[in-house]
Amino acid sequence: MKDIQVPSGKTGSTKAYHDLRSFLVTLEAEGQLVRIKDEVDPEEIGAAGRASANLKNGPAVLFEKVKGYANPVVTNVHGSWANHALMMGMDKDTPVKEQFLELSRRWDMYPVGPKRVTNAPVNENTVTENINIFDIISLYRINTYDSGCFLSKACIVSADPEDPTSYGKTNLGTYRMQVKGKDKLGIQALPFHDIGIQLSKAEALNKPVPIAICLGCDPITTFMASTPIRYDQSEYDYVGALNNGVPMEITKSATLGLEIPAGCEICIEGYIEPRVRECEGPFGEFPGSYSGARLQAVVKITAISYRANPVFENLYLGIPWSEIDYLMALNTSVPLYKMLKDTFPEVQAVNAMYTHGIGVIVSTKVRFGGFGKAVAMRLLTTPHGMAYNKIIIVVDEYVDPFNLEQVMWAMTTRVDPDKDVSIIKNCPGMPLDPSSNPPGMHNKLIIDATTPKAPEIVSRETELLTPPAGTAKWEEIISQLVKAARK
Amino acid sequence: MICPRCDTDKVELLTKSPVGNAWEMYICNTCTYSWRSTETPDKTDPKRYNAKFKIKPESIPNMLVIPPVPPLKA
Ligand SMILES: [Zn+2]
Repeated sequence: MKDIQVPSGKTGSTKAYHDLRSFLVTLEAEGQLVRIKDEVDPEEIGAAGRASANLKNGPAVLFEKVKGYANPVVTNVHGSWANHALMMGMDKDTPVKEQFLELSRRWDMYPVGPKRVTNAPVNENTVTENINIFDIISLYRINTYDSGCFLSKACIVSADPEDPTSYGKTNLGTYRMQVKGKDKLGIQALPFHDIGIQLSKAEALNKPVPIAICLGCDPITTFMASTPIRYDQSEYDYVGALNNGVPMEITKSATLGLEIPAGCEICIEGYIEPRVRECEGPFGEFPGSYSGARLQAVVKITAISYRANPVFENLYLGIPWSEIDYLMALNTSVPLYKMLKDTFPEVQAVNAMYTHGIGVIVSTKVRFGGFGKAVAMRLLTTPHGMAYNKIIIVVDEYVDPFNLEQVMWAMTTRVDPDKDVSIIKNCPGMPLDPSSNPPGMHNKLIIDATTPKAPEIVSRETELLTPPAGTAKWEEIISQLVKAARK
Repeated sequence: MICPRCDTDKVELLTKSPVGNAWEMYICNTCTYSWRSTETPDKTDPKRYNAKFKIKPESIPNMLVIPPVPPLKA
């Protein structure tokens, strides 16, 4: 990072990053990145990721020297609300709900097509013979009983085997990858993920799936890679939208010609081998527990390209909250909100931040009795919600779903357990959820915490308390006095 | 050398550290477990490896297949 200058001008204004390095410069300038200059053992990096996520507004942590390796590692880049706001070019103190509303606004700018560039720095160095991934990437075990070193934050570009350079048929996603050799990786491709659809098609024809595994991308691209969108939508066109209309820069990968994020630090090219499965895992996963060992797909590496002094970006995941929970919070909430809002304009906001949407809180206006329950059932029929959403709480439009104290207020004062709690049995589920039984099946829970409306029997009218006259004035007076006292 | 996880001897050198002689990594060709020579014994020593995470080689062919392999199209 020595070659990078802190950008001039006010930080915190709307700003799009085209690579990881320029974002790290902003994080450092904002006090949201720390450097570890002393040499560390590789396996200490996971612990530091856990530790930083334990802190309020924990910083990214950059390890300059990792024992036995040539290149630096950065972790916890997305691991706080401050870093999340800075990713969007907003002030680091921006409240979560405001970040949600801003993302929601930018979401509607889709599609913003990419800009194609040549001479991307990632293509400055390419290795195609005697490949050893350890020469370039400072790999480490994240959690104690992981089966090896994992890539936990890779942006994986996968192509249609019949039409590998087609823009429209390219998918970008994050899937965990186990390092299994100098030029071999394992990949977890679940059947309901886009890459699972591509793999299934290719395997029926006994064809390999060309992929490019991009590490250390700009923060919005990484964010988008783990955002659930429709199979026929383009992640790259969403990156442009979420960067407030600034097109993403893409380039051709060095040997296969796949269209990849131009700003990435490292690009590993290769193929998912058709019809091959091999022991993979366990891996400490986002539900806060280890996945089992399973027979999963295998990737053969054919080339690795990288910028000078490539920074390896990886994330810690453990008992929530850790970096992955920040990464998959609003990028799960906003698409679910859009899908609900499409059919129910009454919906105000969706908080799907709990374990990638296994838990969801929906705030909605209620038009008539049973409306809240109907909204919850719509959520269960969306493509992401179908498998992931398990516990859904519906609250009135005046309850902020991002404010858990208010959500608990709604639960304690609106829910009649006899009529407002429903269980829907035998639905699709998320296999990594340890309560999913058998793995891949869920029973769903809906808690309707909205105020009853006719024709539902309304036994007592609910008259809400309102702030006494002068509350706003007194808020101002008291906060000024507090400020003065602290000087 | 014995794999700390599945106790077979189909272990090979995965890599030496790219810089200096800091460590070696090994990998098991039966269960794909890999470890670094400088890690703690609960990750490197077959006797100290957590019993809950041990794997019996004969159980591997019966593990869940993710995703399922589709039938070949003619
Ligand atoms: Zn083994």
